Amino acid sequence: MIVTAIILTGIGSYIMRAFFIFALARYQFPPIMLQALEYVAPTVMAALVISLLTTPNGELAAGLPEIAGLVGTAIVAKISGNHILSLITGMATYWLLGWIM
Amino acid sequence: MSTKRFSPAISGAAGALPLFIPAIPFAFVFGVVVANAGIPEWLGWSSSPIIFGGAIQVTLFTLIGEGASVAAAVSAALVVGARHMLYSVALAPQFQHQPTWFRWVGPYVLIDQVFVLSQLNPIKEPDTFRHYFLAAGFTFWSLWMLFTAIGVVLGPAIPASWGVEFAAPVLFVSLMMAASNRPDKIGAAILAMIITYLFAELPNRAGLLVAVFISVVIMLLITRRGQR
Repeated sequence: MIVTAIILTGIGSYIMRAFFIFALARYQFPPIMLQALEYVAPTVMAALVISLLTTPNGELAAGLPEIAGLVGTAIVAKISGNHILSLITGMATYWLLGWIM
Repeated sequence: MSTKRFSPAISGAAGALPLFIPAIPFAFVFGVVVANAGIPEWLGWSSSPIIFGGAIQVTLFTLIGEGASVAAAVSAALVVGARHMLYSVALAPQFQHQPTWFRWVGPYVLIDQVFVLSQLNPIKEPDTFRHYFLAAGFTFWSLWMLFTAIGVVLGPAIPASWGVEFAAPVLFVSLMMAASNRPDKIGAAILAMIITYLFAELPNRAGLLVAVFISVVIMLLITRRGQR
């Protein structure tokens, strides 16, 4: 039963990733479509952040340590462009504020 | 010599390494979920090569552990992973000039981080893109195989009070900023955050898809209007 679930999920998630790469292999993308695709990365990342911080009931599960940590991450990421630096900033801020509070 | 062909592979692997750090605590979370579901370690780990998607694997085993049916667990896991369809659309133009074998292999390692890496500096040259993509993808893949193996063995030993799970939203904020290299993209990201919050009650992160769709349409309307 578990084996079936793993295999079905594996097939399903592969199809989701491969489908449009094959389906649109010869499609001539109009400019408006190419512009729309440019927004996929920033919007999906933004949406992922919020869905990780909300409970299944739709409530925001983030206090000051979380919000300060993420704002710090965003600022350092923007200035430095370095993921390791922004990760350290985010985690350090979160741990420090969580420990003080 | 072959340095020109080698460098995109090295930069792909080098780009992947720092982004894997936040996945390490997630590999331990995965280990805890497998243990709680009462699934043998090897069987839980086998989902890493078969599925290769952290959130999808965690959702599947969480629901199985809660006693959900195969159909319910699989469909919930696939809804969580549905954003990969958006990646598939977004990468379709770059895959048009690729050999068929790469169209088959590439999607297997198409995860969040690999997608964002491939979008940061869009590579026009097909060979360079392919080497970069495969190097980044299989660097992640190898590390995920290794750390989920460690995770299923050691995961239950890591205390939850460390708060290491917070590394996931931190990573995605960092990736969001890297991907928002123009003001309109920052605007799109902010819109997506607000709309995701408004649709947060939809099950299995389905609100994510709604938010991406609406914010992209709004940004197209705003920027197109501005051009006239």
